[in-house]
Amino acid sequence: MREALRAAMTEEMERDENVFLMGEEVAEYNGAYKVSEGMLKKFGPKRVWDTPISEAGFAGLGVGAATMGLRPIIEFMSWSFTWVCIDQIINNAANVRYMSGGQYKVPIVFRGGNGIAHQLGATHSHRMESVYARIPGLITVAPSTPYDAKGLLKSAIRCDDPVIFLESEKMLNDTAEVPEEEYLLPLGVANVERKGEDITIVSYGRPLQRVVREAVRHLVEDHGIDVELIDLRTLRPLDTNTILESIKKTNRCVIVDEDWGYCGMGAGILYKIQKAAFDYLDAPIDYVHSDEIPVPFNHYLEEAMMPSVDRIVSAVKEACYR
Amino acid sequence: MPQLSDTMTEGTVVKWYKKEGDKVKEGEKIADVETDKAVMEMEAFEGGTLAHIAVPEGGKVAVGATIAVLATGKEAAGDVKAKAGGAAAPAKASAPAADNAKAAAPAQQSSTAKVAADQTAFATVAQLPAVEPTSKPVVATIEHAVRSEVHEHASVGHGATRQPATAFPPLQHGDRHRIFASPLAKRVAADKGIDIKSIRGTGPYGRIVQKDVFDAAAAPPAPAPAAEKPAAEAKPAAAPLPTRILSGEKQAIPLTKMRQVIAGRLQASKQNLPHFYTTVDIEIEALNELRERINTQLEKEKVRLSIGDLIAKGVAVALQKHPAVNAHYDDKNNQIIRFGDVNLGMAVALPDGLIVPVLRGINQMGFKEIRQRSADLIDRARAQKLKQDEMTGATFTVSNLGTFGVKEFSAIINPPEVGILAISAGEKRAVVRDGQIVARSIMSVTLSADHRAIDGAVAADFLRTLKGLLEEPGMMLV
Repeated sequence: MREALRAAMTEEMERDENVFLMGEEVAEYNGAYKVSEGMLKKFGPKRVWDTPISEAGFAGLGVGAATMGLRPIIEFMSWSFTWVCIDQIINNAANVRYMSGGQYKVPIVFRGGNGIAHQLGATHSHRMESVYARIPGLITVAPSTPYDAKGLLKSAIRCDDPVIFLESEKMLNDTAEVPEEEYLLPLGVANVERKGEDITIVSYGRPLQRVVREAVRHLVEDHGIDVELIDLRTLRPLDTNTILESIKKTNRCVIVDEDWGYCGMGAGILYKIQKAAFDYLDAPIDYVHSDEIPVPFNHYLEEAMMPSVDRIVSAVKEACYR
Repeated sequence: MPQLSDTMTEGTVVKWYKKEGDKVKEGEKIADVETDKAVMEMEAFEGGTLAHIAVPEGGKVAVGATIAVLATGKEAAGDVKAKAGGAAAPAKASAPAADNAKAAAPAQQSSTAKVAADQTAFATVAQLPAVEPTSKPVVATIEHAVRSEVHEHASVGHGATRQPATAFPPLQHGDRHRIFASPLAKRVAADKGIDIKSIRGTGPYGRIVQKDVFDAAAAPPAPAPAAEKPAAEAKPAAAPLPTRILSGEKQAIPLTKMRQVIAGRLQASKQNLPHFYTTVDIEIEALNELRERINTQLEKEKVRLSIGDLIAKGVAVALQKHPAVNAHYDDKNNQIIRFGDVNLGMAVALPDGLIVPVLRGINQMGFKEIRQRSADLIDRARAQKLKQDEMTGATFTVSNLGTFGVKEFSAIINPPEVGILAISAGEKRAVVRDGQIVARSIMSVTLSADHRAIDGAVAADFLRTLKGLLEEPGMMLV
């Protein structure tokens, strides 16, 4: 995954000299998580910028640069840190195009690790997708594989609107085949990862990678439930058509994420689909999410608060009346 | 499937009056069958035992197809059923509603015990005091579930505190007034024409789910409504939910037999008959007054004339004075047939079409008889219970959209008749009388006439007569 992200940025920086990378430790240290390893050497200090520990400063700098015609990639060490620069993202990045009547566009990508990344404690484990995916003017993307990460990040960099790109520290070591030739994946289009007849599971990003695929394997192999698995890839704009077409076939749906349930990402997805899906549903749409507590530091408690294979299997079986 | 009318090619079994295993006498009503024209009673051709029902209620088959098998003489009903292809299993398994009354008491006891056990287990997990285990098991069960949901996220998880769905015994019919069914199950049941109330739900809290509908559809039809409890009968039937076509979708509605007949006949009429139209305005003040006076007299007989009854009488009298309009155009034999009697067709709207019952010999009837006979015909027309000869033989037809407030319209002739009168709403209009503008109740009527049989002057003369009769109703007696 690390190399896929780097390849996406490198290819786009080679393709367009207006693209540059900025963030804490991205240059001299080769990236806090080594995503930008070698990029300073390749592109030089004008295009790979180290910043002070000041998210509000460099996020705002990026928005300004984008309005002036550059295409910044802003790396956050963790999306949990963006609470301190959220004004720059939500008020400025998301609204400048609208507020200026289209005179300025903001082609910027904010990227970094999101969510619970093992024993980082309550303040560094925020799942920010429901915060950003609800903002008109922002596009929010969450890849679940290295292949998707490269194709989606390249599209994000070429996008003329601000893109929130949610990675996970716990996915950077994932390995998979990624083509060396150029490819792009469209934003706003979900991927039906597995076709099935019995139930639709909707998930994305880190939760999908951490636990959902494993749960689907159990459901199919041990419980004989033919799951259709939808990887959303983009959380805003949400590809509701793909979800609804699937529910029309399966008549059942379980949404899985690692957000808190109340006002969580899955709750927003549920809101977007339940009315149109209502007449096709044979069971209530269920939502498997983390427990509504601060994220514990303790390894076992942290695991226990998050969706598990067992919780997903039990929710799916309940929705299937099995 | 018997052929119940000349044009019938297929029929729909609307209702079975007998269920499998019932004794049937020759000539006894066993089913209602919908033909292209009406719902008609089907009688048993022979006596015996109804061994097998091959077409459930709502099923549509071609004339001549097997809809049921009757075991006669010494044949055993079970053997006949087996031979006929139906499962020989006793009706018990497929008769949930009938079994409920008997099953209710023991089922409730066992569910009480089970709930009590669940509550003990639950109290251990959630450290809550045990709920009084003996009272209202159903309510306690639901409260239990709600508490389980509340604690789900505050404790350690989905699996730990959420009871599996099977922990809640399905509610029995009669234990509740509301039917719980998934949206999909409701839709599928509606599509299949299955009464959702007749289905036993197997989902959580007795929810009816799609599988239950499929199971019910596969099973033989439920027992006759007589088996239901009186309490259930006393409740008014729920109004059918309006069917909504979802945004972005479309709905194909197959043409009913009636729709096809309407489409074919009226299209042929418009294509083949040279229609022309003549409209007159009729002042109906006097007619209204007459109606009120007569209704006062008829009050003790509980008969109340409508304005349409008086108009029908006027039309009948006018037709007798103008036999050219009370006629059939017989193009096969190159002749026009005039009639001594007036058989007045009256267009009646149905939810999915229209039907024209015929008031035979209306020229011999007074207002009261017209009221009583037309009310009876219209009621049975709406229930699709008309006999064949009550739908044929009209010499002239009226179509009345006055109750919809229509100002003026023209109708399509129903051949071989040569005219149809479109009656619109009576309304106060400003008219000139003796050089003054005054308000008068005016009603427009439009005669559609077949020019092959009727010329303009004949049509106009008929309308002048009709106008005279309705504006001065005493002239009907002259």
